[in-house]
Amino acid sequence: MELHTDLADTQQKQKQHFHVLAVDDSLIERKLLERLLTESSCKVTCVDSGDKALEYLSLLDSQEIEYSTDLSSSPPSAQQEAGYMKVNLIMTDYSMPGMSGYDLLKRVKMQGSSWKDIPVVVMSSENVPSRINMCMEEGAEEFLLKPLQLSDLKKLQPHLLKSLVHPTEDISTSNDHGSDNNMIHDIALNDSDNLVSERKVMSPEPLERRPKINGLLVV
Amino acid sequence: MELGQMQGRLAEFTKSLYMEGILDAQFLQLQQLQDESNPDFVVEVVSLFFEDSEKLLNDIARALDQQSVDFKRVDAHVHQLKGSSASVGAQRVKNACVAFRNCCEEQNVEGCLRCLQQVKQEHYLVKNKLETLFRLEQQIVAAGGSVPMAEMTF
Repeated sequence: MELHTDLADTQQKQKQHFHVLAVDDSLIERKLLERLLTESSCKVTCVDSGDKALEYLSLLDSQEIEYSTDLSSSPPSAQQEAGYMKVNLIMTDYSMPGMSGYDLLKRVKMQGSSWKDIPVVVMSSENVPSRINMCMEEGAEEFLLKPLQLSDLKKLQPHLLKSLVHPTEDISTSNDHGSDNNMIHDIALNDSDNLVSERKVMSPEPLERRPKINGLLVV
Repeated sequence: MELGQMQGRLAEFTKSLYMEGILDAQFLQLQQLQDESNPDFVVEVVSLFFEDSEKLLNDIARALDQQSVDFKRVDAHVHQLKGSSASVGAQRVKNACVAFRNCCEEQNVEGCLRCLQQVKQEHYLVKNKLETLFRLEQQIVAAGGSVPMAEMTF
């Protein structure tokens, strides 16, 4: 099966981790979320408001245009770079001053938005059914209650997979030691417990392999 | 005190914090997120929390001291404090915040002042306890030992 033969391949392509844009006005929440996400092998960019989130998305768009103009002639690494920056998931707090998470969700999902297909997950410390429904109806993929746990991030696997440009390409494995919570691990290991131990034996990866590019855009 | 004793003392102390409800499972989650590449994660998050919460408590006190109290504003601060205390596992602070929000709803200044006292008390308590916890951990590390991976065995 693909998994075993592609192991070396995927390790090389480690750069292609899921890129999550985390939006929360609380510094503590951002720090926590960043840690949870990096533990799940995602690249994380944190911003402290909906406005900054939109700014960042626009910035990426303009960078992507630059890359794509000579994408065909550029080396694979540059192409990977462009893909690497792309946001695969937005996680936003619901209650924020100014633009709320709900407002951000609406903006991202609106008709004609170039970010319409980016999955959005809304988080809140309050369990308010009407709020949850509102968000789901507006196109949120998931509504998570805070405080978040590693297990919650597992729920996000399918949404991240959906956003992969090339579904047949690597399910990148950063194969963290000791991380049963490595969500990317889990994608491949849904069906067989045997695979778990096999993988761990095959790749006693050192920490350094995991790309440590966490953008923490703090104001 | 020799290493084994120190480690025992830490374990007992930690256990008491959970038993007394001062910390909850979320704190354990924080400890589990700490590893070789994030060796100071817990201390960092907790420090952020105390910086943040002290500011919030001051803001709340100030808001309650106004001629005409803006309960919405007070509530907003308490909501924030509730959230962050929940995120670090400071259970009793969180619970005190929940009670506080009820007082805000009732728009009762006296009640709110009492609630604020309660929150401050719990906040002070958890701060002291955590400082002790970190000190115990440091002593162990300084003595060449290691702090065992967090687990709830009770």
